[in-house]
Amino acid sequence: MLGLVLVVLFIPYLIAAYGLLFVKLRWGLRLFGVFIVVTIGLLVAMFLVEAYPILARDGVAVFLRTDWDPVRESYGVLQALVGTVLTSAVAIALAMPMAVGVAVTINEILPARWRGLFGSLVDLTATMPTVIYGLWGLFVLGPLLQGLVNALAGGVVMASPYTLFTAGVLLAIMISPYAAAVIREGYALVPKPVEEAIYAVGATKFEAVLIKLRYIRNYILGGFFLALGRAMGETVAVAMVVGGNFARLTTNLFESGITISSLIALQFPNAAAYQYMVPALFAAALLLALFGLVINAVAIYIIQRWQV
Amino acid sequence: MTAERRVANWLGLGLFALLGVAAVAPLFLIIGDVYIKGIDAINRLGGLWHFLTELPPSPFDEKGGIGPMLVGTLYMTALGALLGVAVGFPLGVYIGEMRREKFTNVARAGVNVLVEFPTITIGLFMYAIMSLAKEDLNEWVMKPLSHVLKAAFGDWVSWFIGPLDGYNAYAGAAALAIIMIPYVALVTASAYASIEQPLREAAYDIGGREFNALFVVLRKAVSRAVITATLLGTAKIAGETAPLLFTAFGNFYYAPFTGPTGAVTLWVWYAAQTPYDVQIASAYGAAAVLLTIILIIFITARIKR
Repeated sequence: MLGLVLVVLFIPYLIAAYGLLFVKLRWGLRLFGVFIVVTIGLLVAMFLVEAYPILARDGVAVFLRTDWDPVRESYGVLQALVGTVLTSAVAIALAMPMAVGVAVTINEILPARWRGLFGSLVDLTATMPTVIYGLWGLFVLGPLLQGLVNALAGGVVMASPYTLFTAGVLLAIMISPYAAAVIREGYALVPKPVEEAIYAVGATKFEAVLIKLRYIRNYILGGFFLALGRAMGETVAVAMVVGGNFARLTTNLFESGITISSLIALQFPNAAAYQYMVPALFAAALLLALFGLVINAVAIYIIQRWQV
Repeated sequence: MTAERRVANWLGLGLFALLGVAAVAPLFLIIGDVYIKGIDAINRLGGLWHFLTELPPSPFDEKGGIGPMLVGTLYMTALGALLGVAVGFPLGVYIGEMRREKFTNVARAGVNVLVEFPTITIGLFMYAIMSLAKEDLNEWVMKPLSHVLKAAFGDWVSWFIGPLDGYNAYAGAAALAIIMIPYVALVTASAYASIEQPLREAAYDIGGREFNALFVVLRKAVSRAVITATLLGTAKIAGETAPLLFTAFGNFYYAPFTGPTGAVTLWVWYAAQTPYDVQIASAYGAAAVLLTIILIIFITARIKR
């Protein structure tokens, strides 16, 4: 009954909000503000409710165990958590230099005519459907990286093209425009007098860039956290190249693994057949949502503290 | 300037330029890869029109298309974008214009968090809502409603309105809308916040009511940013896969939107992971079609600016 009320109430709510816009504008607008807050509250509440059976059975142990054995109804998501951390770490390590490079290239190196075009290309990189990245990773990047890593190591280090490392590299390409957007925003806000002062003491362009980057370090940190949030939440592209090894914990980057979001994407379709698998997946989603909340809150705090 | 510093200058700037190019280079590789393999696949699977309208190939077919998926993607994207703008725009006005209210900060934080939320959790959220609401909703609303509408307009109504399955196009569209709302809201908010104070005072002066000032006069000042955001947001949700996995679910046939509905992205996701050449080829064809849609929207948005 509660669900019916939720869904059915939404339509009169929207009509009321629109109606109030004409009658009492501020209250109408406030209703829209309430909507977004309620949505987030509902989302977390919903996940708690859906995950309750497994939390009641296992407690926090579900986040600390590393086995995923549907036949025994025994679920742990630590291996997925470790996979998420590893892929995000690889992605961030590769993406942050690229993001800084993009910001510097656009603002300092390219002639003014080309800046708009280059910026559009970076934005397009962010808009591209993730599933197309996944397709490319599956058939081009994965085999390419396998060949490259094995050739560099002089032996078979990477037995499969689909590993945590592949996922990390693919993620780096996908998230660098998000970090770049924040860093570009900060770069444009370096005051003109500061820039003039830097050049007045005889700095070369490269030295000026380094000083400016230090000046906007909060934006770089903010971009770092936003990109980290993206990397942790990305689903489809990662699920296609990560290898889908959800039964065993691995900390070797060159083995196939799993991340939280790809665990959900790959296991959910057959979850209904087991009693506790849906709650276990919702517990994983709850973890993901909490990570998202915390990381984004940190990012927003860092950026806003600098602005005000 | 000493020689070392000059060399360091060039080396350093060169390194940054190299990193910047490295961030964009994969884009060309991906677009090239998708179009080269995709166009070849479309020709092999029966030509463009056949590909755009026919059912997808089974592993033993020679030909096939993405007809049902394309319809589903267009339907869900249109609905999602409509709802996304309908809620996102006023929300953006609120957090952009009423900055003195305490609650605005809460709403702004909410929007900022939601825009970066993992999209798969939004799909799961809609799944949970649907599984909670489905039975009562069908019993009390959808069944009587579809009876009345069928009697009034004919049977074709049941393609759009009827008892819902757990997986349906409307849940997918709602999930897409939740992704689009914060995006539109943030751009609208920053556009309204960047209006200069004299212009705002003038708008309140000639607008008479606050509503006219905000939505009629000042709308002109922000329309360009909002339209661009709408187009880019539409391109973004047209390419979303994760939120549709457990809401639209995917379907290989033309079917009513009240049941599982196909989407191009879902087909790419499914077909790319099958071991059959013909389905992998159709995944590439579908990716080329999807990329074309996204590129058209993206370039339109850029040219309008």
